[in-house]
Amino acid sequence: MRVQESGPMALLFQRLGPKVLIWFTLTFLVIWTATPIIWAILSSFKDPLEIYESKSLLPEVWRLDAYRKVLSMPGFGTWLMNSIIVTVVATIVPLILAILAAYGFARYAFKFRHVLLLLYLIPRIIPRVSLIVPLNDLMSDLGLINTYSVLFITYIASAVPLATWILVGFFGSIPKEIEESATLDGANMWNRLRHVMLPMAWPGVVTAAVLCLREAWNEFSFVLALVNQTDMRTLPYQLYMLKDSMGIQDYAVYNAFTILTVLPLLLVYLLLERKVVDSIVSGAVKS
Amino acid sequence: MSHTTPMVEDGPTGADRLKPFVPYLLVLPGLLFVMGILGYAVVGGIILSLNETDMFMNKTFVGLKNYIDVFADPRFQDAMVRTLNFVVISIVLGIFMSMSFALVLYKVVRGRRFFRGLSLVPYFVSGIATAVMFRFIFTTSGGFVNTVLAQLGLPAQSWLGDPTLAFVVAIMANCWFMVPFASLILLGGLQTIDKDLYDAAAIDGANPIQIFFRITLPLIKPMLGVSLIWVSYISFSTFDIVLALTSGGPLKATELVSIYMYELAFQQLNFGQGAVLMVVLLVFNTVLSLIYIKIFVMGDRRHSEAGK
Repeated sequence: MRVQESGPMALLFQRLGPKVLIWFTLTFLVIWTATPIIWAILSSFKDPLEIYESKSLLPEVWRLDAYRKVLSMPGFGTWLMNSIIVTVVATIVPLILAILAAYGFARYAFKFRHVLLLLYLIPRIIPRVSLIVPLNDLMSDLGLINTYSVLFITYIASAVPLATWILVGFFGSIPKEIEESATLDGANMWNRLRHVMLPMAWPGVVTAAVLCLREAWNEFSFVLALVNQTDMRTLPYQLYMLKDSMGIQDYAVYNAFTILTVLPLLLVYLLLERKVVDSIVSGAVKS
Repeated sequence: MSHTTPMVEDGPTGADRLKPFVPYLLVLPGLLFVMGILGYAVVGGIILSLNETDMFMNKTFVGLKNYIDVFADPRFQDAMVRTLNFVVISIVLGIFMSMSFALVLYKVVRGRRFFRGLSLVPYFVSGIATAVMFRFIFTTSGGFVNTVLAQLGLPAQSWLGDPTLAFVVAIMANCWFMVPFASLILLGGLQTIDKDLYDAAAIDGANPIQIFFRITLPLIKPMLGVSLIWVSYISFSTFDIVLALTSGGPLKATELVSIYMYELAFQQLNFGQGAVLMVVLLVFNTVLSLIYIKIFVMGDRRHSEAGK
């Protein structure tokens, strides 16, 4: 027997219950997402001793000392350049390889197409950290430890499958008729790719580029395993090493360094947020 | 994906003899690169796991000895149990959070773009930066939580010094990092559902919970599968977050298989046994992914096609 609840209270709850739940969850989402970042920002402006005392949430005086200290670290320019060089190469090269491959998969029927497509997917289910042991062994044998080349090839190899899978989806969704009419106008494959496919799949290309950028900028396990010289470190690696290199921890410097490594990528994301979010929501990006 | 009949023409200038090779020329460079590096690493790792290595990386073939030694090692057994705990709790919590976030992002009308954009921000923060941020949320002196506690007149806690709490914090950091992507995938699933279905169910007197389990969940099954793969992949390969957050401590309370693997290979220079742990991670993750694909994606082809 189910007792039908009635009365003004039950009615009120029925009406407001879902709304309250939504606002509660939404508030939680915002606090949960923003707190770590905002706390790092606030702490980066505090005096190191002030942080230790845990007295107030906001800095007493907003100081830029920590940022000055980070920027004047002797290696900061080098680490920043390393990160930029590796990220640029590991975004452009995978993108080119992926555009070619995705075009092939989306527009041609050929033997082993399905098998080859699956082979592109497999690397995405291999935990990348598990590869650091054999990669270190292999690259030591090849004498490539502490070189840009070793970072390039490992970063590129892990970015190509991701970009390819995103682009196969986008290219596949472009009607073939458009390309066929370009063919009738005498356009060859390169022209069709450049003037028809790429412009039409532009949101996909941008998304693939941003995600390659993200992987390369944030990559840690490969650089940890394949580099051991100070001047070959990237920003995430140096951020990790800060833990050991500072005797008494200067929390403000630590936080300022964190913010400076996170900021460039977040700016890129903010600029292209709409395309990236839409691509993921539309199901075009699959892990 | 399936609509792939060959392009008929390659333009009047196309070299006819080359034509059959064109798709391979497009597809293979990337694949050879990927397989050359990652494929070699996997095969090389398996071979490495069958060898004993010394300090100078001289290898001697020892068959399955490394596997026997590793599986008998209590430190590995602990790390394995811990990893399974970590993965299971992360998956349950992560999927619950992703689903909750996806539902509110779906429902919210005002500021929809802002909330969606904000929700994805952690996805772009590196694992190391995530760990450092969580350290300063929970660090004993100067951490956010203890500062708030101090304001409320409550005593400070040693969050990262206590084995259980540190494990919980590691899971939280992991969720912070991996939930955003999963929730946007689920949001995509919610948006494909025809709104009329909800109206019809509501008219039939179904309550929101029934609607969720009977209508919403079955219809977003493929997306649930994709987000499950993502969440368990990230949890199994969690390395940088835990390494920078706790380095496996305190008292090895957060020493996962990946952390122990790093320790074995790069600190103890025992690459052979390190490679065994690599194989363990690889096998677990692959099996789990295949199970998800079988249950969620294959079982429901129609929707996965529609989702493209």
